[in-house]
Amino acid sequence: MSVRDDLAERVGVDLEAVDPLRVALYATLVGLVAFYLSPLESGLMTALKTEAEFATSPPFVPPTVEGFTLEPFGVAIDTLSSAILNSIMLAVPATVLSALFGSFAAYGLTNFEWRGQLGVVALFIAGIFIPYQAVLIPLSRLWAIVDTQSLLAPVLDITVFSAQVPVLGTVELATHPHYASIINLIITHTAYGIPITTLLFRGYYKKLSTEMLEAARLDGAGAFTVYRRIVLPLSMPMFAVTLIYQFTQVWNDLLFALIIIPSGSGPAAVATIALNELTGGIIQTFNTQMAGAFVAALPTLLVYVLFGDKFAKGVAGGT
Amino acid sequence: MSTHILKRLLDRLRDGGSPVRTDGGTAAAGSETAGGDSDLGSALSSLRESDAVRSAPFWLPPFLLMGFFVYGAISWNIVISLTDFGGLTLPTYDPSTFDLEMYRRAFSDGQFWIATRNTFVLLISFTGLSLAGGLGLAILVDRGIRFENWFRTVYLLPFSLSFVVTAVFWRWMYNFDSGLINAFLRGIGLDFVASKWLTGSIDTGALGAIPLVPDTFYFKLFAVIFALLWQFSGYAMVVYLAGLRAIPNDQYEAARVDGASILRMYRRVILPQLRASTVSAAVVLMVFALKAFDFLYVLFGSNPGPTADILSTMMYRQAFSANEWAYGSAIAVVLFVVALTVVAPYLYGEYRRGEL
Amino acid sequence: MADLTLDHVSKFFDDGGSKVVAVDDASVTIEDGEFLVLVGPSGCGKSTTLRMIAGLETVSEGEIRLGDDRMDNRPPRDRDIAMVFQSYALYPHMTVRGNMRFGLEESTDMADADIDELVEETSSMLGIADLLDRKPGELSGGQQQRVALGRAIVRDPEVFLMDEPLSNLDAKLRSQMRTELQRLQEDLGVTTVYVTHDQTEAMTMGDRIAILNDGELQQVATPLEAYHRPANRFVAGFIGEPSMNFFEMDVQGDELVGDAFSYELSAKSANAVEGSERVTLGIRPEDVEVIDDAAADHAYETTVDVVEPMGNENAVYLELGGERRFVATVGGMRRVEAGESVVARIPEDAVHLFDATTGETLQNRSLESADLDAPEANL
Repeated sequence: MSVRDDLAERVGVDLEAVDPLRVALYATLVGLVAFYLSPLESGLMTALKTEAEFATSPPFVPPTVEGFTLEPFGVAIDTLSSAILNSIMLAVPATVLSALFGSFAAYGLTNFEWRGQLGVVALFIAGIFIPYQAVLIPLSRLWAIVDTQSLLAPVLDITVFSAQVPVLGTVELATHPHYASIINLIITHTAYGIPITTLLFRGYYKKLSTEMLEAARLDGAGAFTVYRRIVLPLSMPMFAVTLIYQFTQVWNDLLFALIIIPSGSGPAAVATIALNELTGGIIQTFNTQMAGAFVAALPTLLVYVLFGDKFAKGVAGGT
Repeated sequence: MSTHILKRLLDRLRDGGSPVRTDGGTAAAGSETAGGDSDLGSALSSLRESDAVRSAPFWLPPFLLMGFFVYGAISWNIVISLTDFGGLTLPTYDPSTFDLEMYRRAFSDGQFWIATRNTFVLLISFTGLSLAGGLGLAILVDRGIRFENWFRTVYLLPFSLSFVVTAVFWRWMYNFDSGLINAFLRGIGLDFVASKWLTGSIDTGALGAIPLVPDTFYFKLFAVIFALLWQFSGYAMVVYLAGLRAIPNDQYEAARVDGASILRMYRRVILPQLRASTVSAAVVLMVFALKAFDFLYVLFGSNPGPTADILSTMMYRQAFSANEWAYGSAIAVVLFVVALTVVAPYLYGEYRRGEL
Repeated sequence: MADLTLDHVSKFFDDGGSKVVAVDDASVTIEDGEFLVLVGPSGCGKSTTLRMIAGLETVSEGEIRLGDDRMDNRPPRDRDIAMVFQSYALYPHMTVRGNMRFGLEESTDMADADIDELVEETSSMLGIADLLDRKPGELSGGQQQRVALGRAIVRDPEVFLMDEPLSNLDAKLRSQMRTELQRLQEDLGVTTVYVTHDQTEAMTMGDRIAILNDGELQQVATPLEAYHRPANRFVAGFIGEPSMNFFEMDVQGDELVGDAFSYELSAKSANAVEGSERVTLGIRPEDVEVIDDAAADHAYETTVDVVEPMGNENAVYLELGGERRFVATVGGMRRVEAGESVVARIPEDAVHLFDATTGETLQNRSLESADLDAPEANL
């Protein structure tokens, strides 16, 4: 309310007056909403139609009673559920790890003063901007050489992981050697996520009061204690932003998954790969494709709808 | 305030003692040197107390992990590009056999130049259009509207989707027979414009589909750019909005008092101050454009054809479809250099302005 | 408890290859229980000095000792000091209790219950016992100030360091806290180094004040001594409000000759300026006598330019020889009008003489009472 008044005043517009310019403004805004939502809306409508229906009715029109079906969603969920589980197993640890590493790095590079620091910072930040094509071949070589499964065998038999998941029953979380590649993917995403998370946390830590951190030092706290008892508790809002942003990044990635998961598809496929497989067929079952797109995008859409403001903050801060 | 409480308090403290805990290495070093005048001890202690050493446990592990994967991998890639690594044999890293053969091959490969050209077309038009669209959106949203949050959320929504999902949606949007775009065009009586957007041809009915002759129109590429615009203009909007919000109210008011029209106010007062937002949004958008591989891969597979092939798809095709590993690496190096020419000046500028 | 000694302490910064001297060879001994105020204009090195004592800055040259123990090579946590910062530097996510406990938890092995008791007692002493479960964001500036103080006091350190702790308070609260802080320090008897740029704070609070300028220690003295017997022109001008009036003059035998007027010297003063060609004559505004008798010695015809009434006194800006303005303070009840011609007398026994080139004091005013030690505060 106050923000609105503030803005209204700033541009000199009386919000209550009916002004042709104002009408045009809202018309434009609504038109743009139509533009931004139309692919989603027509996608959703298509996903709810039978094949006969979507071939004959305009894409944005809701299905008729006889043309309505939930079958595409059924097919999509069946096809994608294990890949979505894989994506969760990938995105959650990769996101948390890169956020933690980013927070460590940002603390070490912001709240201390030493020569050459900016050079290290520059290397971190430049890491945000590298095109991943420049590392693809080494990555595929690296993970061909490193046999994660054998390396982990003494500590963790990853071939027999299983868990009880509500709704889905017993899920074999790992019943295939390919699951080692999920671990490879976690490590890879963690590493490439560090630059952006470091940048996000650094922007935040720069604003922390230097005197407060000095006070803690004089109170007898070492660098680790200052981090654990002062900096970490104060970074919780930034953790929310970073986790949300990084989660969508990892979830949405296709390229690393293509390279690191050997056969592309298979039981280790993540959501983006599985969706691409599902929709890449010759037969144009657009209703199933659209349903698949919604199912695969659901976690990020949920995160976005629930925490949109934090996501926007991550987006604006990540520049 | 009664002093005797204090006295009691302090006496008890002194008697009971509040010994300084000496549990850390630094503390031990401190007491060690406290008595004597050991220069070595004091040098050691000040080294341990120096910020570079104290901060290293925090930034060094992430730096090593990131450095290995980013800079280590880039270096490795450069080395591979100097070899003849291809097919199913393993690469041989013998410096005496290193040469620039792969770069020579790239520079004499017509496809490489087409992909390079397309990369720049995509880079420039996508970035320019996204910035313009984002600025427009930001100005509209900043006009003191109701439900501002709601509008903003809708405009940024596509940015939260993956390239894969966007591509799936837009393949349907561009579908010739029943896609929304053609349905819309036919709906407003522009049947003749309805096209096979993703193959770059117009359906002429009796004559069948004929290709849109001049490649230079980048028909296919602009269909891609339009979809990417849908996905990324919201991002530019968010950056511009932050920039607009940072401009003090006084300036809007001053411009109003000076009698400037809204248009003039934006052109003369507001836009010049959005330079920083423009630069940072442009850099990020260009980087996304270079990464647009996912989108093209889902739409066209690893070979989008001459009008939409860009360096990242070509690199992937050469390396992972044709197993021309060394050649793929060389193309990747070129791509990296292109990115560097965008990013290095930006980072240097940030450094100069003390914003790193 | 012991004396805190700064022994030829210097601090150099490296500014893009060139060496910047922030503190230049400062030596001072702060006695056990003493309240020393470090005062000077901004950028004079006073905060750097404090931070070197705290261990937040390294010492480039020299030593800092507590008693006989050298402490400049120890990390801050081993120096047994507590510091109160200008911004209070409270931990925003902890309650007042958490803020006060923190230092004890981190630097001692005290049992939880003992810490609690100590925090309770200290907080009731400071009148913040009812705020213990609030967070700093919910407190007023003055309350935050007390918490910051409490956080330092509860640790019972050998030395308190205070970096402009009152400068974020409004004027009224500031003067109230000034007295309270002073009384607290006296009760606790903890050696205190207090940094401020405000010379009023320095004059009213310190047992002794150390005046710094450009990284160099100008004088360490009791407030009255610094006021009446400044070591040089800088101290004379910095201490006192309104500032001392200065006139640059040539020495010509027994006479000082300036642009606006000449000043005859007694034999004693003439002796003091012997060897200097150019001197600065200084006179405090309250020592300038505004009289009627133009025939008196050292009396000059002046024109009143501006009168600033303060209530208890008037600051009268005087024109002499058309241009030069200097200030005299006269009683608040005395009527002086702008434009009026008055006679200003500059009595010789109140005149300070400084070398014009070095600024060193050649002769201070003469005083009947030689006892310039700080009077016992009778609070």
